[in-house]
Amino acid sequence: MKKIFLLLFVFSLLGCEKDDICDATTPTTPRLVIEFYDFTASTETLKSVTNLGVIDPNFTTGISFNGVNKIQVPLKTTEDTTTLRFIQNGSDTDATNDNEDILQFNYSRNEVYVSRACGFKTLFTLNATNPIIQIEPAVADGAWIKNISIVKANLENENEVHVKIFF
Amino acid sequence: MKYTLKYSFSLLLLVASFLGNAQKVKVKDSIKPKTERYGLRVGVDLFKLTRSFYEKDYRGIELVGDFKLTRKHYIAAEIGTENKTVDDDRLNFTTKGTYLKAGFDFNGYENWLGMNNMLYVGMRYGFSSFSQTLNSYTIYNPNPYFGQAPEIPSGEKFNGLTAQWVEVLAGAKAEMFKNFYVGMSVRLNYLVSNKKPDGFDNLYIPGFNRTYDGKFGVGINYTISYFVPIFKSEVKPKEGKKK
Repeated sequence: MKKIFLLLFVFSLLGCEKDDICDATTPTTPRLVIEFYDFTASTETLKSVTNLGVIDPNFTTGISFNGVNKIQVPLKTTEDTTTLRFIQNGSDTDATNDNEDILQFNYSRNEVYVSRACGFKTLFTLNATNPIIQIEPAVADGAWIKNISIVKANLENENEVHVKIFF
Repeated sequence: MKYTLKYSFSLLLLVASFLGNAQKVKVKDSIKPKTERYGLRVGVDLFKLTRSFYEKDYRGIELVGDFKLTRKHYIAAEIGTENKTVDDDRLNFTTKGTYLKAGFDFNGYENWLGMNNMLYVGMRYGFSSFSQTLNSYTIYNPNPYFGQAPEIPSGEKFNGLTAQWVEVLAGAKAEMFKNFYVGMSVRLNYLVSNKKPDGFDNLYIPGFNRTYDGKFGVGINYTISYFVPIFKSEVKPKEGKKK
């Protein structure tokens, strides 16, 4: 009889098990991780961005980064191309010091099963040719991004650096 | 004549005494020897059967059987088929397959002679062969700057999947009418092997039920079964004295 009660107790514990909520520590769809470097330095030196605004050309709100040398930007999981405006000093109130470069990311997508709670995730692989195309905006203001290099073309998680930008 | 009468009377007495003797023997004979009934009990799981009616996305049936080996030991088995569609937040899939569980039950209930009620614990080894169809899924994006992606229809089917597990169970069976038993059992399952599809998971296994992150699972059944008596065996007096 004691055994039966013990069993019932175990069952009741199992009923409480929560695996319906996707845990934030589970690696799911990654963002593109970009590290910024000083273009003028002879050796690779990290350089922080100031009030960098990243925004979709069709959106009115973007993501701002200030005083960091590593940023994460989202890629579209529904298309093989994501275009983002990278505006130096764009997220401050002063519009006169802005310098805009448009980056077009070209990649292929792979949908991978994660778990019951998280469903699937999208993994991206930047194209071998023209992975990132730098475009000047309609009103040309010169390129502030001097060089872009791909560190890791296949994006698996956010604990790795995928792209280096020199400015 | 007098002698004849005397003779016949004594003869009658003699016969009567014989008759009496014979009757005594007969009375002794009519006391039934203590017997234990053995047989096959077959039934159906009402839980799965009724679920098939009220749950749109579920079809299933399970047949159960047990056979009494000794007063306390039974061999037992379940065989079933399930077709279940699960609609989770991010996944929608259908599992189809059949399963077989075999093992034993240990009866802890002291029955009166001839009765087969049970309060038991038992073990099973389960085997299931099934397929999974991924109907649709959603991409999880913790940073939905571009908005959450819509559900993506798939229809991809994964065939030839198998799983094996061990069950520990506890339950009861009681005779409601002559030879008709109702029963229920709760089960704790532990996966021994699980052949997962490439690029998906076995989130439901026929017979095992829903899988969790670990290897454990739970089950339950409500049965109604019929006892088919096959043979009786006399209980040896020694066994009676022990009681």
